[in-house]
Amino acid sequence: MADKLSSKAASVDRESKIVDPTRGVPEPKYEWRGLTNEWDVRVIPGPHGLRLGDVNVGSYGEVPDYWEDQTRRPRGSVGRPGIPPLPYSLRSKHELWADCSADLYEEAIQRRWIPATEVPWDSLQTLPDDVEKAVCQMCTELSQCANTELEIITYWQDRMSYGYFEVKQYLATATFDCARQLEALRKRALSNGGGLGIESRGRVNRIILESSGGWTEAVVYLYLLRGTYITRLLTGLLSAAHNEAEAFIYSHMLEDHARHLTYGYDHLKYASTHKDDASLIMQTLLAVGEAHMAAELKEGVVGSAMAIIFGGGIKGARTFGMERYLLLVRDFITDYLTICRELGIDREKTLHPVFKKYLEG
Amino acid sequence: MSEATEMPREHELDTSWMDNMAEWGVSAKPGKRGLTLADIQVGSYGELPKVSDNMTGRPRGSTARPEAYRVGAYQVHTLSEIWLENAEYLYEEALQRQWSSATDIPWHTLKPLPDDVEEAECLLCTFFNEVEFVAGDVPARWIARTTPDYLEARNVLSAQVMDEARHMDVFRKRALANGGGLMRMSGATSGFVGSIDLARDFTEMSTRLHISGEGAVLTMFRMGELFGQNDAEKTMYRLCAQDEARHVAFGVMHLRCLSETAPERREEIECYLDEAEDQLMAGQQNPAGRQSESSEALAVLLGGGIEHYDEGHKKLLVIRRRQLKEYMKRVISAGFADRFENGRSPVPAQYAATA
Ligand SMILES: [Fe+2]
Ligand SMILES: [Fe+2]
Repeated sequence: MADKLSSKAASVDRESKIVDPTRGVPEPKYEWRGLTNEWDVRVIPGPHGLRLGDVNVGSYGEVPDYWEDQTRRPRGSVGRPGIPPLPYSLRSKHELWADCSADLYEEAIQRRWIPATEVPWDSLQTLPDDVEKAVCQMCTELSQCANTELEIITYWQDRMSYGYFEVKQYLATATFDCARQLEALRKRALSNGGGLGIESRGRVNRIILESSGGWTEAVVYLYLLRGTYITRLLTGLLSAAHNEAEAFIYSHMLEDHARHLTYGYDHLKYASTHKDDASLIMQTLLAVGEAHMAAELKEGVVGSAMAIIFGGGIKGARTFGMERYLLLVRDFITDYLTICRELGIDREKTLHPVFKKYLEG
Repeated sequence: MSEATEMPREHELDTSWMDNMAEWGVSAKPGKRGLTLADIQVGSYGELPKVSDNMTGRPRGSTARPEAYRVGAYQVHTLSEIWLENAEYLYEEALQRQWSSATDIPWHTLKPLPDDVEEAECLLCTFFNEVEFVAGDVPARWIARTTPDYLEARNVLSAQVMDEARHMDVFRKRALANGGGLMRMSGATSGFVGSIDLARDFTEMSTRLHISGEGAVLTMFRMGELFGQNDAEKTMYRLCAQDEARHVAFGVMHLRCLSETAPERREEIECYLDEAEDQLMAGQQNPAGRQSESSEALAVLLGGGIEHYDEGHKKLLVIRRRQLKEYMKRVISAGFADRFENGRSPVPAQYAATA
């Protein structure tokens, strides 16, 4: 195909294209004509439009295990020698890949939401002071979690090679999701007679942010450990939502978060099946991470706030509110162990004693 | 069942945090545009520190804990370094104007094009598939480096990262949807000094990215009616232009804010603009520039085929002229009009030569 196109280009009458040099207009050289690795590609939109995964056809869909190129050469396009490299340091597929990335990217776009105009803010009603404080404290905590997620994704994003652009694009949606969560939570905290609470001590945020050895390591802490817990928190908050505004926010955050976890778990699966000692590294990281998570759980601010929300106030928090929160933590640890098992990470035998205690009830 | 088992267990509850809430009694109310970021700038929550001491990642206005870990080594922690007046507005607009390249482009209007035209379109799409995400990679990096106290500016950049992902994607889809394919990369954004990627200061980066780079692309996208061959392409350029206008506005508003709040940096900014202006027409990053292969492709598209190259080229000059004019308008709006009057900038002369 390339030859056919070049010969067409050569047949152009170049002599007739002399242009005024004072305008800086060179005679067209058409050097670019015919320069393609694969031509005649015609992807037809399906019932859901023209999706990112649809255009992964022929050589354009080939995703190599290692991406040498440190430029922004689009996958499948013709390279150009002599381009100074950019600092793309994640160049192995196992360092970032998840098969679901292209689908998650499109899903995120279809499921976008707008806190300003779609949350039914007029459904907010004055809550008892202790309950409002608990809701606002949870908004503060979850904001800090979203902020950590935003900062760790954006730290890694520009180090990811162009060859794996689907992941970069999916992570762009996750970046936007995090920004929107920061926005929505802040709006909720500041719109019902409350305010923000006290910042988290940041034990788990710290282990996530300090995971600068590799993106996979950050994903272990961000999604497998803390993300699994956040799903349970959001599910709990949704079930105890005080009004339609809260229900809208929590349910949409859950949808966003479900995509993030899908990527996270899927990536860890890919890493553990494509790199020899990946599962062992994850196991080591989790042994350390569980201790930090356990310490954070014991600090009790989130537990106390969730118990107040579940118990409808401080009084109920001391009894059934806290019982319900403890069940939530037990469910989280059960989920966590199930996913570890699916990923081939052995955590049951050496599970942190505090985790074991929660599990036993 | 014994009475004891029916009694609910009493748990200890630490409620000390309840005495440490931040400013209390805040009730922001939605306005005509819903509950916007501007609406929640109430009380201390709307106060922006000129220098942020937030090194722990807490939300602005929340109560600080003395024992919190100092995990945020934020390079950008001075307001003038990143701030702009209308950040809340730009962010809310970005949310309202998101679109989907899968479903909002009338792909069915693509019809087979003559080979030269399809090739020209595919070269342009290859160029954009390559360079669009420079504006995703780079702002992303700066989000991670900026204190969360400047949430509104960071959120605008997050929206930009999202927009650019969609731009990268829409051009890839176009290249692979109409009997063509990707072509040769340009190498326009690569690792050399003076490139958008390697700037070590936010404003330097923003000047190159938002003002000159995206500014030139915005003008071009706005003229997509002239070179789009069908409704799908015209829609693609129109929607991208809408997004780019916000990105460019960020740069202009930031520069204006910086020049007002940190006048000691004006001369440094003038130097960035000197560099940018050298590259405006001569650099590879402007797809309509003199050195770009893509400008040949653009002339083919504008003319409707290689046999009408001359005609296409005349229209290309119109695009370049408008790029220069709009560039000057933006820089004037940012507060740097002097350079066009005191002879420092080559742009007025370039503009006059295109008349
Ligand atoms: Fe763009
Ligand atoms: Fe842009």
